[in-house]
Amino acid sequence: MRLAPDKVRRLARARGLTLSEALRRARVSRNAFYHLARRATVVPRTVVALGTALGVPVAELLDEAPASPDQRAAALLREARRIHARNPQASFDNIWHTLWMLEQSPAERLRRSLIRGHAVSPDR
Amino acid sequence: MDTPSLLTDKEARLLQALVEEGVEFLVVGLAAAALQGAPAVTQDIDLWLRDLSDPRLRRALRRVGAVYIPRGPQNPPLLAGGDAGLFDIVVNMDGLRSFAQEARRALRIPVGAVEVPVLPLARVIASKRASDRPKDRAILPALEDALRVLRSRKHPGRLSRTAGRRRA
Repeated sequence: MRLAPDKVRRLARARGLTLSEALRRARVSRNAFYHLARRATVVPRTVVALGTALGVPVAELLDEAPASPDQRAAALLREARRIHARNPQASFDNIWHTLWMLEQSPAERLRRSLIRGHAVSPDR
Repeated sequence: MDTPSLLTDKEARLLQALVEEGVEFLVVGLAAAALQGAPAVTQDIDLWLRDLSDPRLRRALRRVGAVYIPRGPQNPPLLAGGDAGLFDIVVNMDGLRSFAQEARRALRIPVGAVEVPVLPLARVIASKRASDRPKDRAILPALEDALRVLRSRKHPGRLSRTAGRRRA
């Protein structure tokens, strides 16, 4: 499975964006994008090797259904633990809440921050 | 209790008007930190404006029924009326370089239909360190930890560098 720059360009255009604007919005550098576009496959080598070993196409190993809330929470917990292990001076709570905030859109992050802020000082 | 209606389309409209009129501004402070994922609580959205006398600012405010109130003997510069209720104007930022220098490194973050220029979290932390008020000191650990998370996602194999230097 390869990255299709033309498809990305077309999807960006359909949303009124140039490719550069879409990359900037995604905070992906042009270098990273074109590096990926040049690769024969964007699937991690481990998965390709597993497919080869089992004699099946890589697609058969993948599940397109989005992760369930439980799976997503478990993945975030693993990531939080990994980051905390590398940064033991940090607060696990802060790491965890940041990871959850990053699951939201920026507007939603700001909205939650404002709601909590006004709940603390409701007179404002 | 009703959930307060915050950051609705009304507020997004003001940001959109500022962007569309070409007003030079940055979202700064804890609103900037929250936009980047920091678990920070804030009561308003601080805007650092390059030039308060810019006629484009007046035009943008007029579009959303708001007005700019210049600094007076008793008041700092203010935005009032219309969709400006959640916004505060910041004139000086402690610990940062000039507006132009900081604006060059601003992030463009989508808020609703518009991308707004936002001070990067590392620079928010620098300004909070420089301000050094009790409320700034209180929030710094959460901001620094959020920066560790962002750096960890950007460079998964690398240990954090300076985010926590005050806490070591």
